[in-house]
Amino acid sequence: MPLTETKCGAVYVLRPEGPLKGPEAQQFRDRLVQIINASLGRCVVDASAIQFVDSKGLEAMADAADELAQTGQSLRLCGTTETVRQVLEVTELAARFELFADVNTAVRSFL
Amino acid sequence: MRYEFQILVAGLVVAGLLLASAGATAWWAASVQKGVLQQSHADQVRAAGSVLAQSAEVLLADNELSSVRRMLIALARERGLQRCRIVLPDGNVVADATPSSITLRELPAQWSGAATVVDADAQGSAHVFPITVPGRGNARLEITAEAEIPAGAYWPLQAGLGGISIVALIAMMILYRHATSSLGGVLAIRQALLSRQGGQASLEALEVSPDLGPEAQAWNSLLAEQEREHKQSALQKTTETVTSHRGSSDRLSIACDVLSQGLILLGKDLRAEYVNGAAAALLQTKREDMISAEVSTFIKDERVLAACRASTAGPMPRRMIVEVERCDGEATTLLRFIVRPVRREDIGAAMIIVEDITQQRVAEESRHAFVAQATHELRTPLTNIRLYAEMALDEGKNDPTVVGNCLNVINQEVFRLDRIVGDILSIAEIEAGTLSLKKNDVRLDEVFPELQADYGAQAAEKQLKLTFNLPPKLPVIRADRDKFRLALHNLLGNAMKYTPPGGQVTVTVTVDQGRLVIDVADTGIGMNEEDRQRAFEKFYRAKDDRIATIKGSGLGLAIAREVIRLHGGDVVVQSELNKGSTFTIGLPLTEATT
Repeated sequence: MPLTETKCGAVYVLRPEGPLKGPEAQQFRDRLVQIINASLGRCVVDASAIQFVDSKGLEAMADAADELAQTGQSLRLCGTTETVRQVLEVTELAARFELFADVNTAVRSFL
Repeated sequence: MRYEFQILVAGLVVAGLLLASAGATAWWAASVQKGVLQQSHADQVRAAGSVLAQSAEVLLADNELSSVRRMLIALARERGLQRCRIVLPDGNVVADATPSSITLRELPAQWSGAATVVDADAQGSAHVFPITVPGRGNARLEITAEAEIPAGAYWPLQAGLGGISIVALIAMMILYRHATSSLGGVLAIRQALLSRQGGQASLEALEVSPDLGPEAQAWNSLLAEQEREHKQSALQKTTETVTSHRGSSDRLSIACDVLSQGLILLGKDLRAEYVNGAAAALLQTKREDMISAEVSTFIKDERVLAACRASTAGPMPRRMIVEVERCDGEATTLLRFIVRPVRREDIGAAMIIVEDITQQRVAEESRHAFVAQATHELRTPLTNIRLYAEMALDEGKNDPTVVGNCLNVINQEVFRLDRIVGDILSIAEIEAGTLSLKKNDVRLDEVFPELQADYGAQAAEKQLKLTFNLPPKLPVIRADRDKFRLALHNLLGNAMKYTPPGGQVTVTVTVDQGRLVIDVADTGIGMNEEDRQRAFEKFYRAKDDRIATIKGSGLGLAIAREVIRLHGGDVVVQSELNKGSTFTIGLPLTEATT
């Protein structure tokens, strides 16, 4: 799964492209946790290119959210598609993330 | 165990009683049986003696002495008699079961004397029967039965009683075992109850062995339930007590853990007494390693340490703020340490608040750069306006052509100024998050012809070949018409601007799998890798010398991408230096669009 990493100021933006599922979700999780640790939590996941997410993908995002919650922060997701948003709501995981419309809004939330 | 001893004693007593009863019963039955047998035996001996006496009278009269003797022997053997003989009145024995005891071998023809009859009852087992031999005289038959019944005569009785006793004992043992298990449980529970009444409250002391049966297990369950309720009650009381006395402290600790700022409470010995999760993460160490550790083990900056020492050495009148830059590989982090004295001596000496201000610092620098760039961009046309206005005033009196030229330039610069101000406002709105869209149905089959008309003349003037590859049917999309057109104008304007004369600009529109894709390709100067990566940054302009003379604010691409992103799409660029660039707008088509 292609993972695009960009930097907006001091904030890292991770953009997975494609469905977040199976073993690729583990790859995404590992990289996300790595970025979280390196950037002290200044990280945004641009979910606009995630068409759907399975249980492994949800687990990966929940793990990263837990990692951040230990330091009083939360995982910022932006640009989530309707499908992903519905999955998060059905699984009652939406409350564990901060959802933003786009990358800029998410990055500005660090100010 | 005491109750086990009691059960054992009770069991032994019951077994003893039962055995004694069985023994007495056996003795009594044997006695009765013996009496009956002896009586029966005596009766049989008496009857046989009577018959024998009668037969002997006849046989002796006929002098059949040998037959009489055989009968005596046979009777003695058959009845087990101790003595059986016929005695004459003079004491001579003429016939005996024991032949050696015979004293008179031949029977006399006649004898005198009366037969002496001994009382049978007085002799016990001895019987005497008178015999009157016709024509000869009187005699007597003496029979003495065995004094005791042989031991073998009682064996069926003894075997029966023994068998019954054994069966009874086995049954008793089974009953004993069964009774022991249930009775043992009951006794153990009784003892536990007595212990409880005596003040024993320990669960271990009150519990009984579960092997003692279901009663014991039920008792243990009851005790466990009671203990659980007791513990729960105690825990609740403790919780209430803790909540009432220390509740605020715990809640504060939990609240501190959800803070994104790090908090470290230092004691007077400069050791950490409390550390929240964020502090450990920001200092990239483990929380458990920080607790009770000296501050210098996890904070290396000397200024922060000095502030901590100053706080512990004596009253520090104010807080101290230290900003520390830390390089972690390629990332640079800026941490702000605020050291505040803690007044209450019993809590600690200093509180360190750690904040990650990297993004704030970057944003601040970005704002400064933006203001500087905006000022520069505004000043350039303003300078031109001022210069051309002065020229018109100075030289226009004599030459109306100069006035016309100056006014033309001023007009162009005003348009430029208007566009720059518009761009800056758009960027400001994007930055503030207030850039909103007014979505309506936008007919793309109207938008692209307008675009073609707007840039057709300019392309012809610059000797560029402008081509629009449009599908036969263009969709209607939900979008903000003005801002969508602004994005297209910025991309197409850039392509026209950076393509030298003789080049080609191609706009290609495709609708594929629910996505609208617009490619704006040119054969212009292109970009190197660094420029390509920074193309969408605000106020960024390529370092290429060839664009030095080309006017531009560096805001167009940033605005175009933000506008398209607000529509749910994105703009990406592919470029090769000296060969050209292709900007691609990808926009999802919603169900509302056709």
